[in-house]
Amino acid sequence: MFWKRTITRSQEYAENIINTVREPLIALDQDLRVVSVSRSFYEVFKVKPEETVGQLIYDLGNKQWDIPKLRELLETILPQKTTFDNYEVEHDFATIGRRIMLLNARQIKRMLGKERIILLAIDDITVRREIENGLEKARKELEVIKQSEDEAREYAESIINTVREPLIALDQDLRVVTVSRSFYEFFKVKPEETVGHLIYDLGNKQWDIPKLRELLETILPQKTTFDNYEVEHDFASIGRRIMLLNARQIQRVSGKERIILLAIEDITERRAIENGLEKAHEELKELAAELKRTARVKSEFLANMSHELRTPLNSINGFSEVLYDETFGPLNEKQKQYVNNVLTSGKHLLLLINQILDMAKVEAGKMKLTLSSLPMKSLLDEISLLVADMVSKKKLQMLLEIAEDLPNVEADELKVKEIIYNLLSNTVKFTPEGGKIGMRAKKADSEIEIVVWDTGVGIAPENMGKIFEGFFRVDTPYSRVTEGTGLGLPLSKKLVELHGGKLSIESEGLNRGTSVRFTLPIVSRRVV
Amino acid sequence: MRKRALIVDDNGNNLMLEKDLLEVAGFEVFEAENASSGIAIARKEKPDIIIMDVRLPDMRGSEAAKILRQDKETRDIPIVFVTASVMPEGREEIKTITNSGFIGKPINTRTFAKEISQFIK
Repeated sequence: MFWKRTITRSQEYAENIINTVREPLIALDQDLRVVSVSRSFYEVFKVKPEETVGQLIYDLGNKQWDIPKLRELLETILPQKTTFDNYEVEHDFATIGRRIMLLNARQIKRMLGKERIILLAIDDITVRREIENGLEKARKELEVIKQSEDEAREYAESIINTVREPLIALDQDLRVVTVSRSFYEFFKVKPEETVGHLIYDLGNKQWDIPKLRELLETILPQKTTFDNYEVEHDFASIGRRIMLLNARQIQRVSGKERIILLAIEDITERRAIENGLEKAHEELKELAAELKRTARVKSEFLANMSHELRTPLNSINGFSEVLYDETFGPLNEKQKQYVNNVLTSGKHLLLLINQILDMAKVEAGKMKLTLSSLPMKSLLDEISLLVADMVSKKKLQMLLEIAEDLPNVEADELKVKEIIYNLLSNTVKFTPEGGKIGMRAKKADSEIEIVVWDTGVGIAPENMGKIFEGFFRVDTPYSRVTEGTGLGLPLSKKLVELHGGKLSIESEGLNRGTSVRFTLPIVSRRVV
Repeated sequence: MRKRALIVDDNGNNLMLEKDLLEVAGFEVFEAENASSGIAIARKEKPDIIIMDVRLPDMRGSEAAKILRQDKETRDIPIVFVTASVMPEGREEIKTITNSGFIGKPINTRTFAKEISQFIK
């Protein structure tokens, strides 16, 4: 009985081990009938001892153990090998659902006796596998997240590096996280002395700027953004700069910490330009004042000149006129002719003075227009009558082509009369006997267009440029024209322009006639 | 009855021309070469019209006119300024003088006396 007790004890020992391990264990005989199972086996597979021991393993729990891979292991692999490790079997159990199991098999000799038993350890790795799969999935997801974070960071950094404006990103401790390429270039610092450093320590502490401290430590904690904070600072490396700081506190892509993005705009040059402009503006103002003063002096000078010239002319013209009129007694023929010459010259001088003054007034912007609605048709007729005498004396033919629908024009009557008289009297002066002169007038959009033409001496192409310079007069082989002042045409052009019109002159060349074309706006739009 | 005119002008030639033209036209003419004697003659003679230069040696013609306008005796005598100051600035200072007129120099000798007569009521 001793051996039997020993056997019993050994069996108890083995069963104790079997029952202690948490992993389900099953012992089969050579016919694959269950000899013994561990307690955990019953628990895991929800079977009872009476339905288990002595049963064929495949029949356990309503044949739910009849698993092809298990049959393969027990019937094909094990007879050839005595052990088998980590044989993975996935099976859908009726009682406990789909499970993944790792089977470890041992063929061991039974104590006393020749038969072998098969010890099968079943490691349920379903949950572990799930965890592993979950981990794998999580890892993959993380990879994706990491990748998109990388992309986002790359995207952000490429933005940072693309903008020309120096940018700097700081963490909550005001240490540099990243800076844009332009930052390195602009502030002449190296990446190794920048990233990870406190902003105030950058470039030998040249960034330790009180106003920057104020912005980062006082203002930003209260506001998440700050725009156009102006800081002027003398940098050791790049000299005195005026910067416009724009700050944003932003949340990092992952994680709760905030970073501070600081954009630095160097407005030193812009400010210098602004200051330059300001200075230029001041200088211009001074210049304008000076010009105004000069203009005043000039206009005072003109007023004085006018007065001083008119006073003697009053005597010259006055006394010669009285003499010519023989108010105080008769003159002989010669005396009368001479005194008439004095009077004519005096009147010419007076005309010159008046035209010079008018030119000066227009140029000084002092010529004022007295606008009224002018009946142009009758005004043109009236002026043509003024030259009628001269026209018939020179046996000229005068042609007037005035459109029936010629409208009234808003203009200064005296000035318009002066313009037309100047131009028409020029045609008489510069057209030889027997020639033709004329005027054409018509409406053209919002203006009237008047052409004063003649078949006279014309203008040589080389003289076209001088015609508006003043005091230019055409010399002709057959008539030296002396009665003109040489100011009529330039003055007329200025008076036309003062009304907002245009005046131009055309000539086919010497002796081929001249035509002067000018426009007047129907409704005044004169330039002030 | 002959009309009586006072001419105040420091330029002898102008004075002579205007005097001759007015006398030919039948005026009795008084002359003054400065403002203060002009004012004195005006108060004494009470002419029908005063012909006044604007630039006078002792004061502006406009100032003399203001003095004449303050005096009851000379307040209503028409004043014609005959001046070489034909620019708008020259006319500005005489604009406020009541019962006054303006003739620019050089004068038209053929119409001068007639123009002057038109200022007399």
